[in-house]
Amino acid sequence: MSYAYLFKYIIIGDTGVGKSCLLLQFTDKRFQPVHDLTIGVEFGARMITIDNKLIKLQIWDTAGQEAFRSITRSYYRGAAGALLVYDITRRETFNHLTTWLEDARQHSNSNMVIMLIGNKSDLESRREVKKEEGDAFAREHGLIFMETSARTAANVEEAFINTAKEIYEKIQEGVFDINNEANGIKIGPQHSPSNASLPPGSQSSSPSSGCC
Amino acid sequence: MQHQYWVTKETVFRKLGKKEDAYIVASDAELDAKLELFRSIQDSCLDLQRIIDKYQERICLLAQEENSMGRFLKECGKQDKTGAGNMMLGVGRTMSHSGQQRLALRMPLLRLFQEVETFRHRAIEDTWKTVQAMEKSRTEYRASLSWMKDISQELDPDTYKQLEKFRKVQDHVKMTKARFDRYKLDCLQKIDLLAAARCNMFSHALITYHNTMLQFATASAQAFTTVGDSFKDYQRFEFNHVKELSEIKPEENSTNDQEQDDK
Ligand SMILES: Nc1nc2c(ncn2[C@@H]2O[C@H](COP(=O)(O)OP(=O)(O)OP(=O)(O)O)[C@@H](O)[C@H]2O)c(=O)[nH]1
Ligand SMILES: [Mg+2]
Repeated sequence: MSYAYLFKYIIIGDTGVGKSCLLLQFTDKRFQPVHDLTIGVEFGARMITIDNKLIKLQIWDTAGQEAFRSITRSYYRGAAGALLVYDITRRETFNHLTTWLEDARQHSNSNMVIMLIGNKSDLESRREVKKEEGDAFAREHGLIFMETSARTAANVEEAFINTAKEIYEKIQEGVFDINNEANGIKIGPQHSPSNASLPPGSQSSSPSSGCC
Repeated sequence: MQHQYWVTKETVFRKLGKKEDAYIVASDAELDAKLELFRSIQDSCLDLQRIIDKYQERICLLAQEENSMGRFLKECGKQDKTGAGNMMLGVGRTMSHSGQQRLALRMPLLRLFQEVETFRHRAIEDTWKTVQAMEKSRTEYRASLSWMKDISQELDPDTYKQLEKFRKVQDHVKMTKARFDRYKLDCLQKIDLLAAARCNMFSHALITYHNTMLQFATASAQAFTTVGDSFKDYQRFEFNHVKELSEIKPEENSTNDQEQDDK
């Protein structure tokens, strides 16, 4: 299947907050109840449509365990969007957000769209972080915010797709230089972008095979 | 094997004490704190063993000296037919006896020495082997992380060959991590057990020492008090040369007693 754009996403946040589960819910519509620790990084991909255009999301699900921190830093490079996830039932995962954000801002391009996600909203009885707190943090740092549940799938589609919409808008506004792959955006093999004049030869450099 | 390159590199780096990845070091904080405890048990047990040995040796010497002093006093006492001779006889006898009784302290000390010795050669040695194995697995795990970091610099999931290579390294990290986690848990548990076993050993071995010490001290204090009491009516000696010894005058002595009674 050929796409108009490919967006690279990374999912970051403390271990156990549900990054891999969010990805699995988004790509396979399944939930994994046991914590299968991510080693380094895992990949996922899905096609979505925005503005009648097919967009391939290439998602990098990074390991949250501290020992992998130096490794996962190299995955920020060239990401167009980031899902920064915390667990609403564990206060410390919320407290670590500033560190994650600093890391992300330092190792990625400045236009990267960051979506803040408070996951596990199904566990209302064990909630430790109020929704308003997430809201306030997002507003203060200029992020989009949503609460999700990888278990019930609530807001999972929206989280991934709204991030893509935001990136798409930035492309339309010309904020992203789509010719620069360091921005985490590639132009699909058979598509000429509508808002940028691309020399015909550059299309051949686009990927022809998908892994996922 | 390519991973051998990373293991060698990591081994050399660790040997040279090269600064390690702060995040990896931080994630081992609990383990490293436990290892500190292990080292302190290891060192303090060795120190303790040396000290016990010196201590029991000194007790022996002290007992000998006490005995000789007692014998000397008895000899002098036999030749002196005055009250002073009588006193020397009494004190000498008590002193010789106290010296002999003091030797009883050596028994529980030697037992403690034996216990610490066994503890060192069994429990500590065994834990040390686990620590060694853990360190080896830690080096291998850290090496695999370096390898993964290296291969992550240029990673594109849509390029089949790169992904293949990454998966291989990822499997390797999984394996070394699983092994390290197992040894890590082993170490944490063994060191906790070791600390508990040490407490146990002390509470057993020290009780006999404590009791023996108490017995000895009470008995010899009693003996000396009795001898002292039997001299109550003797005339006091005026110290002319060693004036410090004359500090306790009969009157002062009684006021001291009163003060103590008041408290
Ligand atoms: N109830 C509930 N549990 C969740 C949710 N999302 C994840 N979990 C559980 O949380 C645990 C961790 O989920 P993962 O997705 O593996 O966590 P992760 O963030 O990928 O962790 P790392 O790979 O170590 O960084 C698992 O046991 C999941 O079943 C959720 O929305 N609700
Ligand atoms: Mg994961």
